[in-house]
Amino acid sequence: MNTLKSIMKWTGAAAVCLLFFSSTAWSQSKLTDPEIASVAVTANQIDVNYGKIAVKKSKSPEIRKFAETMIKDHTDIIKQAVALATKLHVTPKTNATTKSLLEGEKKTTKLLNSKKGKAFDKAYIDNEVAYHKAVINAVQNVLIPDSQNQELKDLLTKVMPLLNSHLQMAENTQAEIQGK
Amino acid sequence: MKNKINKWINGIAVAGIITLAAASCTSPGGQSNNQAAQPGKDTVYIAGMKFKPAELWINQWDTVVWINNDIVAHDVTEFPDKTWSSDSIQPGQSWEKDFGDSVDYFCSIHPTMHGKIMIRK
Ligand SMILES: [Cu+2]
Repeated sequence: MNTLKSIMKWTGAAAVCLLFFSSTAWSQSKLTDPEIASVAVTANQIDVNYGKIAVKKSKSPEIRKFAETMIKDHTDIIKQAVALATKLHVTPKTNATTKSLLEGEKKTTKLLNSKKGKAFDKAYIDNEVAYHKAVINAVQNVLIPDSQNQELKDLLTKVMPLLNSHLQMAENTQAEIQGK
Repeated sequence: MKNKINKWINGIAVAGIITLAAASCTSPGGQSNNQAAQPGKDTVYIAGMKFKPAELWINQWDTVVWINNDIVAHDVTEFPDKTWSSDSIQPGQSWEKDFGDSVDYFCSIHPTMHGKIMIRK
């Protein structure tokens, strides 16, 4: 329960984020499981937050539908990550990677909030493509190899097809709104 | 801790065996068998953002059950006109429907996911 609370508190503090990760966002040293849990929850929460901005600002049905799916799916993943962390008594631990993710979110949020109409739609979907690419790369090359607990590793592995599908959906949406 | 992990590994192994068994029960490429066609139940598993099997051959008026073993909600919707659709099928939940004709379907939440139901002649 404590774990759950601290995650909630932590995501609450994180509640303003996004932008895609630069490669430097990923720390060079190996991440511990509590750090991985923190990164996973943050990365998902950031995409939920971007989706909420899009649902609020966009008038494009394609963008809104995509954003709603991102909110639903990434919220589901957070729930499972929190449930697993609670079960394993792992308390997510903020680290350099989560901090740089949050800095990225701040910048992207600022950018998204400065745009309107079609310019907003384009900025949002371009970011979704880049963000999912960065997250896929990080989960595959950092989070999965670094995780020690087999259940954590397995949850991250199960998330991969979902992220790949989201990337494809983002690219399709990007193509659909072009020329509209 | 070890126990938990073992339990979990067993769970995965069982899920894998069920999936394999389901896949091997599907007759390849619509071979008809000699038995009289009794309406039965056929299963499509949803896992890893895929319908498994993606192409399922059934006898006419068989019931197809979709079981969502994935980590997010999906749906089953006629493709491309959305003439019918399940509602969201949550992880761990299932949905079923009978088929008189072959049909293409997809997940309207994740349009990258496609499947087909084929009627054996
Ligand atoms: Cu789906």
